[in-house]
Amino acid sequence: MSEQTSAEQTGSEQTGPGAPKGIFSKDLLDACISCGFCLPACPTYALTGQEQSSPRGRITLMRLLETGDLAPDDATLAEEASLCLGCRACETVCPAGVQYGHLLEEWRDEQWSGLKRPWIVRPLLLVANRKWVLRILGLVRRSARKRSGATGQPTLMLGCFERGLFPSVSRGIAALDPDLAVDPDQGCCGALHAHNGELEQGRDLARKLGERLPGTIVTTSGGCAAHLADVIGRERVVEASEWLLKKSTGIGTETDTNTDTNTDTNTDAAPAQRPLCVGLQDSCHLRNGLGVWKEPRELLGRTATYVELPSAGSCCGAAGTYALVRKKESRAILAKKIAEIEAADLDLVIAVNPGCLRQLQTGLRKSKSRTKAVHIVDYLRGPKV
Amino acid sequence: MTEIPPAAIADLQALLGERVLTEPGALAAYGRDATPLFRHAPDVVVQPLTTEEVAGVMRIATRHRVPVTTRGAGTNLCAATVPLSGGIVLSTTRMTALTEVSRDEMLAVCQPGVTAGALNRAAAAVGLVYVPDPGSKEASTVGGNVATCAGGLRGLKYGVTRQYVLGLEAVLPDGEVIRTGGRLVKDVAGYDLTRLLVGSEGTLAVITEITMALVPNPAAARYGVAYFESMTDASEAVRDIVASGPAPATLEFMDAVCVAAVEDFAHLGLRLDAGALLLFGDDGEPDAVDRSVARMAEVCGKRATHIELAESVAAAEDLLAARRCNLPALARSGSMTILEDVTVPRPKLAEMVAFVAATAEKHGVRIGTFGHAGDGNLHPTAVVDGDDPAATAAAMAAFDEIFRHAVDLGGTITGEHGVGAAKLPYLEHRLGPEQMALLRRIKGAFDPLGLLNPGKLGS
Repeated sequence: MSEQTSAEQTGSEQTGPGAPKGIFSKDLLDACISCGFCLPACPTYALTGQEQSSPRGRITLMRLLETGDLAPDDATLAEEASLCLGCRACETVCPAGVQYGHLLEEWRDEQWSGLKRPWIVRPLLLVANRKWVLRILGLVRRSARKRSGATGQPTLMLGCFERGLFPSVSRGIAALDPDLAVDPDQGCCGALHAHNGELEQGRDLARKLGERLPGTIVTTSGGCAAHLADVIGRERVVEASEWLLKKSTGIGTETDTNTDTNTDTNTDAAPAQRPLCVGLQDSCHLRNGLGVWKEPRELLGRTATYVELPSAGSCCGAAGTYALVRKKESRAILAKKIAEIEAADLDLVIAVNPGCLRQLQTGLRKSKSRTKAVHIVDYLRGPKV
Repeated sequence: MTEIPPAAIADLQALLGERVLTEPGALAAYGRDATPLFRHAPDVVVQPLTTEEVAGVMRIATRHRVPVTTRGAGTNLCAATVPLSGGIVLSTTRMTALTEVSRDEMLAVCQPGVTAGALNRAAAAVGLVYVPDPGSKEASTVGGNVATCAGGLRGLKYGVTRQYVLGLEAVLPDGEVIRTGGRLVKDVAGYDLTRLLVGSEGTLAVITEITMALVPNPAAARYGVAYFESMTDASEAVRDIVASGPAPATLEFMDAVCVAAVEDFAHLGLRLDAGALLLFGDDGEPDAVDRSVARMAEVCGKRATHIELAESVAAAEDLLAARRCNLPALARSGSMTILEDVTVPRPKLAEMVAFVAATAEKHGVRIGTFGHAGDGNLHPTAVVDGDDPAATAAAMAAFDEIFRHAVDLGGTITGEHGVGAAKLPYLEHRLGPEQMALLRRIKGAFDPLGLLNPGKLGS
């Protein structure tokens, strides 16, 4: 009996019809030791309880795609490439340092190439790809106007869809920090492309944005921040809450900076119009990709009673194009989130990314909640003139 | 190899509807667990929710003579959940009802798919602790902990999963449901089938409900770290600590290879000039803990080159993190990691450690050794290039010698990970032919058709 279960007879990992297909970077794929520590962090594994819907299971699928053991048109490959939120929560618990986000980008670059891309994503990529469209969008929706900033100060990234969906955000941060330069002649950062099967184009757009906007770039979108930092370097990218905390521009008490700002209640220092009770929805890529999560909490804690939502750090189901591509799952994830917000009886729930903001607004409106979802910049700026 | 009859799949679908997976990709994902080198896809995966559904699955399996491999989170390190003969993988991940946590009776009742982490949090909410503390506790399931008799960092003082299982509900291959043990602290009616099922790795029955004893959360815990010139010195310090008084909660060590890997990974400020690191700690009433930790520091002082006591919770967390991240820290230096689990009588610890190092050198394999020194439980871990078959073969040859030597020293081939498919070839060396034959007869009494997890224990 002693030989029947030896590795040789059960089949080693190298068995596959052909040579590696070069879809994935070998070192990225090799890093996973299949320990399964990622399982409890994965929102889609929580939905299905199925191995192939977990980060480890998906890496097994990627390996089989790479070796040719699974056909490229395998139904599970297609399903899982789209079911994954790409939230990267798995990366924060991975002891082996697997860069799952990058693996997913490489996977979708193959899985969603050309006509295999979900049809609903295609026009979005086309629009975001065209600088003049974004420029007109910004003009029509009155996003922040062109101005030169103070010397040595960063430039504001206007984003693509944020210009049209939430133009008050760029106006807001321009008002909060008068030193920021604004250049409307800028394109999309390419995060959308990189996450939707156009990896090289996504990187190219980020590089172009980095060339167009010199020095440090401030962005009001967590998702863009992570992608941009990935391509042009972390040192050149600052997310809005990071920046505003650093500048402390008119946030919290008038005297600001080192005072005891750890207020549990709404003190007289906070403007009267500001609501008492606010929660936060993290941006997955900001939190999991860039490790920025304390900063928005610090800003909110200075100006209101901050309530930590139990799942603030996990995905709201917006996940870029996910809310369009996977409506059913996106709604299921959102429903839990909205129930949590309702249970906390918040005045406001704050978002640090336009996709999350749109998702939360939709969910709260549908459930006729009294809670409003607001971008952190709009919140910090206060009621608009 | 079994070819599953289409009628069996149809029956499963009639019973469970969409909770039956048959797509090749999905099946491939269930073809492995956390163990390298073992892979075999099942023919179908089912996700029952209730005991009745598990019984239904087993009746179908028996009727069509299809093997069934039960799987929790698949975090085990002995290929216990790889379905070597194909057939059905019965996944418990959706059996997540935590029925009861009782402070009065100090126990919990749950379905097998509840994660160890979830049970621990529920227990902590009423001031109790779920004792089994495997490295995979956030991901692994209580059912899997029971089926493999998981251990962990608290084993020396608190023992392993076995000591805490009060009762089980389980489904036999023909679909009959049995309930062993229960809520009683004392109960000697009949053979101890509860303990027989613990560690049986899904070869005797499918566990569907667990009644687990919990213990009060200790009031205090303190940790310290001692550095030694060699693993031999550290092993001797461990022997002296064990001999000097009540067993402490934690006595973990790691060799220089592990210390370097951990420091490179986690930057905790560990001393890289030492030959061995010993993490010691205890929990309980504050003054008793202080005395215990002081005693261990004193004993270590005879041989250690340097001793540090963690003065804060954060410092203690860092030390525990250093120990917990051993495997992944090592794993970063190669594309495949083979983690082993031999245990020897504690006086033989130094000898075994030296043998592991010599064997690694002899075969040209990079092996880091860490483990639960207080239990005599070592985790020699080989880091190899998975693309190089010769390197893998050399590692397997080294482990072959290590297993045999451990048994020759009066030790065992697995302290806490289980036998699974990975260690089955060495089981006879540990148990002898008479016990192996008895194991097979026990297996036959539960599972006469040999349907449950074939190719594992009792095969």
